[in-house]
This record gives sequence, C-alpha cells and structure tokens, in this order.
Amino acid sequence: MTKLVQIFSSRRTWAWPYVLFMALFVVLPLILVGYYAFTDIDGQFTLRNFAKFFGHSEAIQTFLYSVMIAVLNTLICLVIGYPAAYIMAQEDFRTPKVMAMLFILPMWINFLLRTVATVELFNMCGLPLGEGALLFGLCYDYLPFMIYPIYNTLQKMDNSLVEAAQDLGANRWTCFWKIIVPLSMPGVYSGVVMVFMPTVSTFAIAELLTHNNIKLFGSLIQDYITTTDLLNYGAVLSLLLLVIIGLTSFFGEHDSTGGEKGGLV
Amino acid sequence: MNIDRFAKKQKTASLKDKGPVTMGKFILVVCLLFFVLCPLRSQSKLTYELHVGATGKVAVLDTFPEHYAAEKVNIKVLSTKYKVQGLDSLDFVFADSPIAGIEAWGDSVFHYTDSEKVAWTVWRKRALPKNRSQKVLAGNAYDAFEEYLHQTVDVHRSLGWIWLVFAGLLLAAGIVYACVIVIQRRKEKNLTAVEQETLRRKRMGMRRHYGSQLYLWLLLLVLYAPIALIAVYSFTGSKILGNWTGFSLDLYANLFTGKADAGLNSAIWYTVVIALIAAFCSTILGTLAAIGIYNMRARQRKVVSLLNSVPMINPDIITGISLFLLFVALSLSQGLATVCIAHVVFCTPYVVLSVLPRLSRMNPNTYEAALDLGATPAQALRMVMLPELWPGMLSGFILALTLSVDDFGVTFFTKGSGGLETLSTFIYSDARKGGLTPELRPLFTIILLVMLTALIIINIRDKKQQNQ
Repeated sequence: MTKLVQIFSSRRTWAWPYVLFMALFVVLPLILVGYYAFTDIDGQFTLRNFAKFFGHSEAIQTFLYSVMIAVLNTLICLVIGYPAAYIMAQEDFRTPKVMAMLFILPMWINFLLRTVATVELFNMCGLPLGEGALLFGLCYDYLPFMIYPIYNTLQKMDNSLVEAAQDLGANRWTCFWKIIVPLSMPGVYSGVVMVFMPTVSTFAIAELLTHNNIKLFGSLIQDYITTTDLLNYGAVLSLLLLVIIGLTSFFGEHDSTGGEKGGLV
Repeated sequence: MNIDRFAKKQKTASLKDKGPVTMGKFILVVCLLFFVLCPLRSQSKLTYELHVGATGKVAVLDTFPEHYAAEKVNIKVLSTKYKVQGLDSLDFVFADSPIAGIEAWGDSVFHYTDSEKVAWTVWRKRALPKNRSQKVLAGNAYDAFEEYLHQTVDVHRSLGWIWLVFAGLLLAAGIVYACVIVIQRRKEKNLTAVEQETLRRKRMGMRRHYGSQLYLWLLLLVLYAPIALIAVYSFTGSKILGNWTGFSLDLYANLFTGKADAGLNSAIWYTVVIALIAAFCSTILGTLAAIGIYNMRARQRKVVSLLNSVPMINPDIITGISLFLLFVALSLSQGLATVCIAHVVFCTPYVVLSVLPRLSRMNPNTYEAALDLGATPAQALRMVMLPELWPGMLSGFILALTLSVDDFGVTFFTKGSGGLETLSTFIYSDARKGGLTPELRPLFTIILLVMLTALIIINIRDKKQQNQ
C-alpha cells in the first residue's frame, strides 16, 4: 500500500494513463493503417494494393487534382487573409478583438450547414456549381484558419523595427517586403499548414458543393474504406494521405499549430 | 515615449474628424442592403408563382414513386432509375436534387434529356434561360411536390437585376465621390504648397484607413452571407431552403415542442451527450497528463509532447479511418462508446495544452509543501493544485465541448451503422437525401444569436475594464 502511495505521489506517473490511452488509440490505429495497406483480405502480406494504385489512373488523377485544389485554396486564402490580418494588426485599428471574433463566429455554425447554404446562395445568384463553387466554399470554410495565426504573429511583432526601417529611409513598400513579411513568416507557415492539411483531406464539402461532379481524394478514400472488400485498398490511399500530411507538418514545424488552433475559441 | 503616444492619438483623432469618408459607409450600406434584399426578392414582381390548381402538365421524378400513390392528383410519376426522355412537353417537373441522387443512382450521372445534365426540384422551363443548367430549389422532390399541392410555391428567377442595381449604386457612389474630390481640389487652389502637402498626406492616410475598413467589412459580408440566408429563412414555414412562403415562427415552435423530425431530436440529444462525456473525460485525463508531463525529465517530455501533437496534426479523416480500422480489427461493435472514445482522442491534446501554461505559472513547491505538512496526495491535489489549475481546465473543457460538437469526420467513421447520428452526420445524410430538415435553420440561428450576445457582453466588459 505504501509503495502504491509512493508511486502516485510521484507526479510523473500521472501521465501514464494518458500515454497508455494514446498508445492504444493513436499510435496503434496509425500502425494498423500501414498493416492493412500491406495485407489482403485474409491477412496475408501482399503488395498488390500498391500495384493496384499505380495501375489505377483515376485514383492517381484524383490525388493530383486534390493536391492542386488544396494548393490553390491555400494560395487564395493567403492572398485574401494576409491583408485582413495585416489591417487588423495595425496600431490605429481600434477594434481588433471584435473583428477577430467576428471572423471566428461563423465557425460556430456547422460547416456542412454553411456549405448547403452556400450552394443555395450560388443558385440564387445564378452562378453555376463546379470548380469555382468548390474553391469558394473551401476558402470560405478555412479562411479564419489563415487569418488568425498571421494576425497573432503580426500583432506580437516588434514595431520598433518597422519604425527603424522608416527612419533609415525605407518607403512603405520596401518596409513591408523586407521587414514585415519576413517577420510574419512563422504565422504564414502555420496558416498554410492549417489550411492545406484539412483541404487536401476534405471529403464531404466537395460532394455537396459540386453535386458530386467533382471527386476529391478524401471522397475516394471514404468510398473504399466503407466498402468491406476494398478496405485494404482504402488503407493504401489513407497511407498516401498520411505521408502527405507528414511532409506538410514537417514543413510547418517551426510553429506549434495546435497552440494557434487552441486560441481560436 | 509619451510624446509618441500623444502624436499617435492626435493622428487617429484627425483621421476621425471629417472628409468624404461617409462615402465608404454609404457603399457599405449598399452592400448590406443587397444581402438583405437577396433572400427577400421572391416577394418582388419578377417571381413566378405556382398556385394550387395551376394548370399544366406535371411530372414527378423520384426514387420512390410509391410515395405519391396516396395523392389523388393527376400526375405522371416517373422513377429516376431510368433515363427519361421527352420532358420538353411538360410544364412542371419535380425531381430530387442531384445530391439526393447519389445514394440511389450511384455515381452515374443522370440525364433527364439528352442535351443537358440537370436535376431540378422544381422546374418551370419557360421561366429559365436556355442552355443554362439551373437547379431551382435544393431539396427533396416530395417536399417540393407537397408544397406545390398545399400552398403557393414561387419559383426563383435569376438575380440578374439585383446585380444591376448593385452595380448602379456603386457607380453612383463613385461619381459622387469624384465630384466631392473635384470640388475640394478647387477650394484648395488658394492654399500654400505646404498646406496642400499636409492636406494630401492627411487624405492619403484617411483613404488608407477607410479602404482597409471597407476591405474587412466586405470580407465579413461574404463570410456571413450564407449564414444570413439560414437566419432569414428560419422565419418562414417552408420546407425548402430558398423558398419564402411568408413570415411565420412555425419552425421555432416545432423545434421547441419536439414536433420536429424525430431524427433531428435524437441527433441533438446525442450531440449534447457525446460532447459532455467527451469533454468531461478528456478534461480529467488531460489535466492529469499535463501534471505528469510537466514533472517529466526533458527527454521524456519531448516524446510525450510529440505524441500529444499527433492527434492535433492528423486531419479528421485520418483519425477517423485509423480508429475505424482499430475497431474493425478488435471487432468492436461501433456505437456511442466508440464515438465517445474517438472524441476523447482528439479533444484531450487541447486540454493538455490549455492546462500546461497554468502549471508553469504556478509555484512548483506548493504541492510538496502541502505534502510535507501532512496532506495526502489527494488532499494536496484538491486543495493546492486545483484552485490554481481550474481556469485552464475550464477553457480546456469548453474547447473540448466545441470541438466535439463541431466534429464531422471522426464521428462519421466511428458511429457505426446502428443509426447513431450526431448533428453533423445528420446534416450530411440529410443533405445527401435531398433537402435539409427545416428545423435546423432555427436551431443554428439560435446558436448564432447566443454566440453573438456572448461576444457583445465580453466586448462591453472589456471596454469597462479598459476605462477603469
């Protein structure tokens, strides 16, 4: 009994249940994705699933298309979101807090409902549904994720650097590109990661926004995973997505994405 | 430093005072008007209305033709499973929206006619421009048909004229603005060069200031347009989003008296239960973990922190699929329990992250002091640690609640096929079937209003504190 008390009074051990939980429900499932990718239905080792993917031009095309859409969406979000974040971080901007909250507030409405409403809005304005609608919807859903991290870094930026540059004769434009942009790069990185990763793996929005005319990689995975016979092939596709995610998060490692996301509420 | 601040204050004050700035506000009001008008335009003259007993050849395209057997009307019911031709001779066609068709038709694109890829719920051909693939009302064929039978349905037309009005107003604003500037320039001709320069600078600053304000508000306008649509249409009784059938509070009444769809009621219930369970469990697990991690040696801490960040980096679909595979491998039957576990998985890391900063702010020796003074670990935890940690725990709890309520991807893969639906998955399957359950509109309008009120209260409180 005293030994038990001793173990529990060492606070280091308090994390054990969590570590165990994570090992069981985070690490093991990820290993299972790999396991299923390398086995067939009977559990025998095989590489046939991978061979199938490389011979499956539709899947490869869908994959490339999804990555392209995700890159495009990230760029659009950056181009629209950076000025917004920059304006909000200006010193003479009087209500940055309210503005930030206003950008986050739409996220309290379920994103699928917002997507359906977007579809309806497009119909009302007589705009066709398709790639344009898809990009609009994706940008609409993920824009706050881009604005918020950039705004955070810009706001924390040391303003005396900008003033020093101005004193030394830099004009507004030079000052922006040589001082402000490089200093805000961490925020841009985490914004890019936070927009790119969910976009590349999105699966329900595309279906609703394009009336299932455009298929993204996420929808493809969903189709295969939920079909019992094709589960192993679905695992291959998931593994591929996992690799992409891993690479992206490596790229955005400079910054803790979680902290930024945590600040959203 | 003080002089600096004073100068800045002066600058902002001078920005506020006067000038042709009302123009920016005017443009803003025009834009707002546009979005208010947008949903209400069906009351304008240009809409087409189908009245009860309207004459014309009517056909219904539906996956379930048998539903229409009870209606004693002379209609042509066609199953959508076949390629239908010769619809050109009909006046009204009711059909499921294409999203609805996914389940029934698989991936095959459905052709009503040879030339166009279309799927319309209510379609009046004469009202539509040619060669334009138009869906008029998103939704379910049966709902549209019912509304057609029992009340007035108005058919939308393209909003071309509203765009024109919008563009015209903007143009007018631009002309007025230009005139104001020209008049001002004339007045300033008599001023000295220095005065002109200061005025120019002032005006540049002003333009930049209001230009950026305008940019933000336009962005917000676009961001809020779909939400405004939901909110506006929550005040009408129509089953279909986008069809205004007069002001009514029926949907609100249905929502609160439980008359709404049974599926919706159980989805709301499950969403709340799952969110509470997940948030509660993850708060306890996460707080203990945070205390543990904080006291670990650097290397161990690094490993666990990495582990902690994995569920946050993983997108929903990966978390969902990997857990789905785990439950399949363990041959667990999926249901409430698996959804709760999955939600705890992606909520806990955020709790850990919101508790950790609190720990580092706290004096690490107080806990040991309590132990030395004879407290048991449980007592020390309750009386020394908790009072310090609870703000972090609370924000973690709230964060977990919102993440859980908002989640779709993970729930979708772990809910199993036992009929368990949360709000997100309910909306998804609803949208796929064609049309949303109308009571969702008031539900989310209420949520939005509550959040807006909270925002305003927080803002007012902040201002008061600043003033003090």
